[in-house]
Amino acid sequence: MMRVLGYLAKRLVFVIPQLLGIVLVSFLLVKSIPGDPAVLMLGPTATPDAVASLRESLGLEQPLYIQFFIYVKNILHGDLGTSWQTTRPVLEDLVQRFPATLELVTLSLLLAVVVGVTLGVFAAKQPNGWVARLADLYGLSAGALPDFWFALVLIFVFYTLLGWAPAPLGRIDMIVIPPEPITGAYTIDALLASDLDAFGSALAHLVLPVLALGLLNAGPILKMTQATVEKMLDSDFSRYEVLCGVPHNLVVRHALRNALPSIVTIISVLYGYLIGGAVLVEIVFSWGGAGQYAVQGVLNSDIYPVLGFVLFSAIFSLMVYIVVDLIYVLLDPRISN
Amino acid sequence: MSQLAVTSEQGLESRPRTAAAPLVDIKDLRVDFSGADEPKQVLKGVSLSVLPGEIIGLVGESGAGKTTLARSILGVPPAPGRIRTGEVVFDGRNILALPELELRKLRGRRLSVVVPNPRAELNPTMTIGRQIGAMARIHLGVSRAEAARLALAMLRDVQIPDPERRMNAYPHELSGGMAQRVVIAMALICNPAFIISDDATSGLDVTVQAQILSLLSRLATGHRSSLLFITRDIGITAHFCDRVAVLYAGEIMELAPRESLFLKPAHPYTLTLLAAFSHSPKLRDTWSVPQTGRRQIQVGGCSYANRCPLAQPTCSERRPPFAEIGPGHFARCHFPVSPE
Amino acid sequence: MLAIVSLCARIAVIRPRFAVGYLIVAIVAILAILAPLIAPYSPTEADSTNFLQSPGGSHLFGTDNVGMDIFSRAIYAPRIDLTIAILGTVLSALLGGSIGALVGYYSSGRGIRVWVSFAVMRAADVLQAFPVFVFAIALVASLGQSIQTVVLAIAFVNAPIYLRLMRSQVLSLRSMRYVEASTVNGLSDFQTITRHVIPNAMAPVLAQLSINVGWGILLTAALSFIGAGVRAPTPEWGSMIAMGFQNVVTGQWWPSMFPGAMLAITVFGFSLVGASIEVLADPAKRRQLLNDARQRPAGRAAAASKRQSLEQV
Repeated sequence: MMRVLGYLAKRLVFVIPQLLGIVLVSFLLVKSIPGDPAVLMLGPTATPDAVASLRESLGLEQPLYIQFFIYVKNILHGDLGTSWQTTRPVLEDLVQRFPATLELVTLSLLLAVVVGVTLGVFAAKQPNGWVARLADLYGLSAGALPDFWFALVLIFVFYTLLGWAPAPLGRIDMIVIPPEPITGAYTIDALLASDLDAFGSALAHLVLPVLALGLLNAGPILKMTQATVEKMLDSDFSRYEVLCGVPHNLVVRHALRNALPSIVTIISVLYGYLIGGAVLVEIVFSWGGAGQYAVQGVLNSDIYPVLGFVLFSAIFSLMVYIVVDLIYVLLDPRISN
Repeated sequence: MSQLAVTSEQGLESRPRTAAAPLVDIKDLRVDFSGADEPKQVLKGVSLSVLPGEIIGLVGESGAGKTTLARSILGVPPAPGRIRTGEVVFDGRNILALPELELRKLRGRRLSVVVPNPRAELNPTMTIGRQIGAMARIHLGVSRAEAARLALAMLRDVQIPDPERRMNAYPHELSGGMAQRVVIAMALICNPAFIISDDATSGLDVTVQAQILSLLSRLATGHRSSLLFITRDIGITAHFCDRVAVLYAGEIMELAPRESLFLKPAHPYTLTLLAAFSHSPKLRDTWSVPQTGRRQIQVGGCSYANRCPLAQPTCSERRPPFAEIGPGHFARCHFPVSPE
Repeated sequence: MLAIVSLCARIAVIRPRFAVGYLIVAIVAILAILAPLIAPYSPTEADSTNFLQSPGGSHLFGTDNVGMDIFSRAIYAPRIDLTIAILGTVLSALLGGSIGALVGYYSSGRGIRVWVSFAVMRAADVLQAFPVFVFAIALVASLGQSIQTVVLAIAFVNAPIYLRLMRSQVLSLRSMRYVEASTVNGLSDFQTITRHVIPNAMAPVLAQLSINVGWGILLTAALSFIGAGVRAPTPEWGSMIAMGFQNVVTGQWWPSMFPGAMLAITVFGFSLVGASIEVLADPAKRRQLLNDARQRPAGRAAAASKRQSLEQV
């Protein structure tokens, strides 16, 4: 236990400089986006004096490195700046939108894991069977399909043609009142409030985007599972198990157990990637998520939302990696030494 | 040394030598390795009968086909091996012809293999207690608790120090000698009738080797199982094997009761192997032939011809038959050496 | 050259999917080059009386909501998408690969070079921790929206991949005898790297190139979809999908579906070609594939029956 805590502390110490690096790079990147924030905030009818005084108060006349220090100082106080589009603090906006993205991405990843690992194990069990061929094809196509187009196809089939899915206009029906935000995820909050109407509506709206993201991202998981389990089945210990008369299914299960570290790795990479990578699906379904927020920020020269989003997603990724490293210690008995 | 001699003597007395029907009858086993071009013949027709309760030593150098033979007997030749033809008759049936499901039930239960290099062969993510217990659960159908009890008992049998703690150890935490004992435990927990020990003592310290040897022979005798003891070291077989066979390039070159082989060796290759241990300088000089030259180039004719100091033209032309040259003593040679 | 082509042909026969990949890429390349000759209409000519015509008749793929012929636009699009993707990918390979080779070569040994290598690797870490898509959009937004900036965006996003690839290849090759020998023989570091190290590290890079071109096309389409890439009315698959977006919901599927399908098939083809290069460039895999083919008739039957028996529970 002490060893685990010590390991955690060491990792967390390294997180700070990494975060600082990420914030620095995004700051520089975002500062190079043309567009005067003061002008954008006040609108086209602003007088030059008003613009000048706003620039003064925003510190825009200061040299770049001083602006950076000010930004970092503000972050430490919980101030991530203000969005001129929503006119609200970025922190507030993100706290509202990040859970939407997280809910979507987490459920999609769950689907991807179920589909990918199952197909991958079956493909590895019977490398010449039709499941393996299907899995190969699936892996290739899933990487080739553009997610925004696939989402459109799903909408066309299940909404326009079949009428099974609700209209792709957000996370919940317009006539249903969203549940009280405790976690920010509509499904969880609705269950906590025992509000079955909201739960049903939120779930129905989640089906198509989760299908889109989940089915496409199952590809890499499938390929990694298939490749690693096949490798394990070819290893000395698997052959020894066969020599000892262990039933085939058990051999495969043990191989999967030994393949878990690699599979967990790719899941964690996908998780971090999807926070920003879900943005196109968010746009297609008008999800109101954090990625969409950041993209709108970039397109409208609203820089603080972009910075805030990068910070949030970087922190999230780093936390995922730390959790994954802890999982490794549990999974592989050789590591603890 | 003397301790081992005592043990083997006791063993000799307690082993029944009556039954004429073999426990395991290997008939003309041929195994190929699929290669870049043509398949390579690794086992060229191995035939061997093992009597119940018997300990047979099989001596072969690296690449002779020892591991291939050990695993092919159970129908699982090492990759990229393929059993071309041959039978392994056990319990009245050719087990190689059985459906995989049936054969699986026999592996580990009635016939088992003790593998070399055990730390690479054990599952790295399972405790050894669970791995040993798994054998009991799969083959004997016992509960998890009962399997753990049996595994612990087995660990004691193989004389692992501090067995209770070791039950929860992982393979990478064990030394080579301990891992070897674990693998022996796994091979014996279901009380098989036939045990194959494949080079189980190579890579271990000499003292540990001696311990493992005496352990194996004691357990085999105690369980009344037959043991096929495969090794690279002919000297070891002198202590406790009833019969000894010599394997070269995928063929058995000589097979004889222990005394016959060591006192009256007939095949030139056997003599070369024995020369290393001999006290007679003349013998050593005659038979210590440099083992150079490629092994497998003989197509037709004796596989050993290109290295044999007694080779004649006939040896490269015709494959010698496996002929009986004495009571229970067989040699595959056109010109077997007569006792000097 | 001829040897490579014949090898490709043999591999394509053994694995039909590779043949499919080559075919797709060939067709797309032909379309890109010959579009002006094949297209029945101009890609930017809008006939407002004929908008949202369903496919068939004089408009094979139908028309979009301003009356432009979708078929013509769809086959003109590869010119833009392929050009951007190929340029961007090649640039990323050159940029990332050269830095990666240097970093790998100097990653141990003398003084300050080690520190610089270390710093470059940490910088690459930070770069890769970025949400890829947001980074690309931000780059485009800061440099101005044009074809050149999309190319640069692809280059920057993919450079770390080649950096790591070349670095790991160089690291493993460094210790090889012939590299040490060349240094002893008096070749400068630069000569050693270019003459010995890089040619032997090429194999995985080549396989990655083809797959990256596919990703580059996807990224270009994605950027154009949200309006940060190629501007309308330039024909580009992503922007075509965006233009037809609302129409899909109301039932007119053709303005978005056709370009999307072509996009998917094209990227699929590049992935297949990349997979075939992976086999071609790795001597071990090449040998295995040719071996499998040789043993196929008997081997497949035998392997199939063995597998069947292994799979019985």
